[in-house]
Amino acid sequence: MRRTSLAVAITASLLSSACVQTRQYADVQFAPPSGDYKLLVLRPDVTVGSLTTGGMVEPRADWTEQARASITAALRAQQAARGGNVTIIEHRNQLTGVSEQELADIERLNFAVDQSIVDAKYNGNGLPTKRRRGLDWTLGADAVKLGQKTGYDYALFLHAEDAVASKGRVALGLIGLAGCFIGFCAPNVGGQQQLDYASLVDLRTGKVVWFNVVAAGSQVPGIKFGDLRSSEGAAQMVERLLGRMKPGRNVQQAEKR
Amino acid sequence: MCARCLEVSRRSLMLGGGAVAAALHTGVANARIRPQDMVPLIGPGYRPTERDELGLWKEMERVEEEVAGSNLLITDPKLTEYLQNLIGTVGGPAAKDFRIYLARIPEFNAMMFPTGFAVVFSGLLLRMRDEAQLAGVIAHEAGHFLRRHMIRSWRDEKRKTDLFSIGAMLAGVGGAGAGVYLGDYVQLAQLGTILSLFSYSREMEAEADAMGIRSLAQAGYEPMAMSTIWQQLIGEEEASARYRGKHRRKGSLFDTHPSEGTRMADLKADALELTVPGKVYDRHRERYLSTIGPIRPMLLDDQVKLNDPGASQYLIETLAQDGWDGLLRFYEGEVWRLRNRPGDEPRAAQSYAAAVAYPDAPADAWRWHGIALMKQGRSGEAKAAFARYLKMKPDAPDAAWVRQMAG
Repeated sequence: MRRTSLAVAITASLLSSACVQTRQYADVQFAPPSGDYKLLVLRPDVTVGSLTTGGMVEPRADWTEQARASITAALRAQQAARGGNVTIIEHRNQLTGVSEQELADIERLNFAVDQSIVDAKYNGNGLPTKRRRGLDWTLGADAVKLGQKTGYDYALFLHAEDAVASKGRVALGLIGLAGCFIGFCAPNVGGQQQLDYASLVDLRTGKVVWFNVVAAGSQVPGIKFGDLRSSEGAAQMVERLLGRMKPGRNVQQAEKR
Repeated sequence: MCARCLEVSRRSLMLGGGAVAAALHTGVANARIRPQDMVPLIGPGYRPTERDELGLWKEMERVEEEVAGSNLLITDPKLTEYLQNLIGTVGGPAAKDFRIYLARIPEFNAMMFPTGFAVVFSGLLLRMRDEAQLAGVIAHEAGHFLRRHMIRSWRDEKRKTDLFSIGAMLAGVGGAGAGVYLGDYVQLAQLGTILSLFSYSREMEAEADAMGIRSLAQAGYEPMAMSTIWQQLIGEEEASARYRGKHRRKGSLFDTHPSEGTRMADLKADALELTVPGKVYDRHRERYLSTIGPIRPMLLDDQVKLNDPGASQYLIETLAQDGWDGLLRFYEGEVWRLRNRPGDEPRAAQSYAAAVAYPDAPADAWRWHGIALMKQGRSGEAKAAFARYLKMKPDAPDAAWVRQMAG
């Protein structure tokens, strides 16, 4: 009897162990875009897959399409509410006046810079030269040139990946849960995993002015938190990722005074 | 999975995990796969219809966009057209569906992606002695696509990890119910799963070799060419290891590819089987060399700068089996010069001197020949060499310095 009640207690705590974490960084001078700004969203990178029983992620073409459409719609709605003028491009040849190669270069540069930001700000390998300086990274002159050529104020890079627990994975978790009652408690085999990140580049200065990561994961399969395929889930993700943009330190201090 | 399990008494029981491990070891073939058994599993214009393969293809769209736009690509139209034609020749029913990209990476490699686009590394073009060898590698890569290897290995991996997870969970739950600990068997099963994944991958490689050599022979290329590639690669790795005072790595249970020796032997047996007596097979050496001619200096330059003198020297000597020329002699000198061990300087000087005796000696051969002569105190000859260098490369970045040396 005692064992059973313990199992129930553990189960209860595990069931609530689905968690969503977000952590953003901003340039010290950053003020979230507002008013009549022009935002360019470069090829949102969205993939949705199914988490197999054995724990592999099987990409799903239909889910990815659905999620991409939902996220695009949510992004437009959210930015329009802030007064922004948004263009979302899906392929490198869709930006007039800029060659595919130029855009590819910008994307690759941004990817390298993003990796550096993640390494220094999220993985704990902080750089002594960037300590207490907010988000201090730049894409340099190439980004400024892109802004001059196209007339956009900001570029947004967005990545979203989601793995939805398959029926088999949920069943596996259920067997583990059943095991709790006989002493082998393993419902926490790992369920839905979502990772989203975005970086905002000011095309007038070339600087990466804002960066945010949303990591959501559940140890127990079957527990969901925002399905990117649905419009509500996509809107929730966009809100988590981009909705609560905080100004940089200097701007915050100036506001306090 | 849970700390408490350790307290449960360890009683041996052939159940769960161990049984799963045994079940996974089915269909592991080590015997040679015969080329005549290899038929393409797809026809022209193949498109996926099943859900998992559709997902895989979708994901590859962006990968191909990334590859096609990579700044590592060599986009010379003559070369890319040549490769495209080659994969068209040995690509079987999917000949017209393939895309092929050439990346400037000085390594021996080529790869096929699930949607039918291949990436060939420039280091491969350097190592191939004729078109038949290159066609052999490309036919192997095409074989992966024709035999649907990516989706098959994905499904295999999915099946095995599913089985393992269920087996491990049942072993845990069942074991706890019976009051025994099955953790050891679960670990055994895990190792079994991993090992069977690698061996499945080796089987696919062997299939691609067999499929490839069949396409190669059908296209009229010398089938023996494929086996010699592995002979060359083994030689190169041994030379590289010897120079570094190490032994060449031999195969292990964790290899994704069959060992090079096995592949060489199997391909040799395949070639003997496929060769029709009296039929004339081509190697197309001349056509190959004239096509890669314009980038060959770059390929050699990238190779000698890898700081792997053992491999570089072996490679150059292998290529020279078809005849020395000014370019190969010059880069032989570069290997010595960059290695810079005692006695290498006169060796390099000799190579440069030999290089300039050929009409196709590159300008840099004259430059280094001049510097070597200068060091030997033969300034008159050195000046003549420098003059020749400046004549061939009047806009050289170091022209002013050489002019000063030439006095």
